[in-house]
Amino acid sequence: MALRELSSLEKYLGQKKANKYSTQGDKKVPVLQNNNGPPLVGLVTIACHLAKEAKRPELLGDTAESRAVVQQWLEYRVTKLDSCTKEDIKTVLKDLNLYLQDKVYLAGNQFTLADVFMYYGIHPVIVDLAIQDREQYVNVTRWFDHIQRYPGVRHHLPPVAVLRNRIYTSRHH
Amino acid sequence: MKLFVSEGNPHCLKALAALEATGVQCGVQFVNHDERVVPFLSRPTLPALALPSGQYLFSSNAICRYLFEVNGQECSELCDQWLEWEATVLQPALQQALHMAVLQGKSSEVSKVLQGPIDVLEQSLSKRNTPYLTGDSVSAADLVLWAGFFPVLSDSSPTLGEHKSLKAWFDRVAAMNACQSAAQKVLQGKGLQGMKSYMQRQPAPQSSQCRETQPCNSN
Repeated sequence: MALRELSSLEKYLGQKKANKYSTQGDKKVPVLQNNNGPPLVGLVTIACHLAKEAKRPELLGDTAESRAVVQQWLEYRVTKLDSCTKEDIKTVLKDLNLYLQDKVYLAGNQFTLADVFMYYGIHPVIVDLAIQDREQYVNVTRWFDHIQRYPGVRHHLPPVAVLRNRIYTSRHH
Repeated sequence: MKLFVSEGNPHCLKALAALEATGVQCGVQFVNHDERVVPFLSRPTLPALALPSGQYLFSSNAICRYLFEVNGQECSELCDQWLEWEATVLQPALQQALHMAVLQGKSSEVSKVLQGPIDVLEQSLSKRNTPYLTGDSVSAADLVLWAGFFPVLSDSSPTLGEHKSLKAWFDRVAAMNACQSAAQKVLQGKGLQGMKSYMQRQPAPQSSQCRETQPCNSN
């Protein structure tokens, strides 16, 4: 899972040379073999390294504040979202829905790595979500749809039809 | 800017130590464990930093990273890696260890649970041979890891005897004024017992042995 995400990120960043990865431990934590130094360990650490290497620092946020917000959601992805149970997921969706109420992206008005990796992480949850739930968490759904349509992001994941045409719902149902 | 913290919460130890070490101007308010400070989170989550823009940071590691960056010290890749390791590997082990030590009175089991992470840290410190985790000066990673270990190492203390590099590093960070002052404010010299009311409000830790439900997206 993590290695496919990193490979999709490499494609998004337009990197030509393929990096060498391995995994470590039961949880299959990704490890990047680094020619210039010791290997880098961890999905978030490697993703941030790739963005910097591709000279796309804005993907990590463009102010100290937004950089902290991006790191916070990347951490949320690999701690809360990746280990949550079926019960926790309702809380995650509810909180995220409230958070996204007045935002286009997780870091506000700017697309960042936080969107990419929260999208990858939440994809299986959204796939399993009943249509009514997708409408209940409408801000999450809107954000999800926006990111899956963002050029070059989706790669290894199938598209999810999340929004039904709501124009006629009040009359025809 | 305002930092919200609660007594006996080990994550608040990180944020307070970082605030004192960096000297960033910021108000501090002590609140109850169950106070919901971050408006969009259903569960009370502390520490929380209200940023000048009105946004909230609710991750203690992100708060520490931010305070260091505001003070002109950006997180290096090695620092990133330690922060991620702390959140994904050390914290689950610590939660289990604290649950046993504080609520079940099984302090003797603590060293077993923490053995893996302690070995990783010892090995890395002895190989690099620098006074701090990422080099010659203190980084966010040092304070975050110190604060994680502090409650368990300062109290019942799984012996660090054979872990010379870890012990030297831990004592070096613990001797900083910022760390001593933060520890006094959060634990008030009561050690592990100072965390009891905080721990009682935490859900029982998940561990690989006792997890009842599978993660929802384990593919």
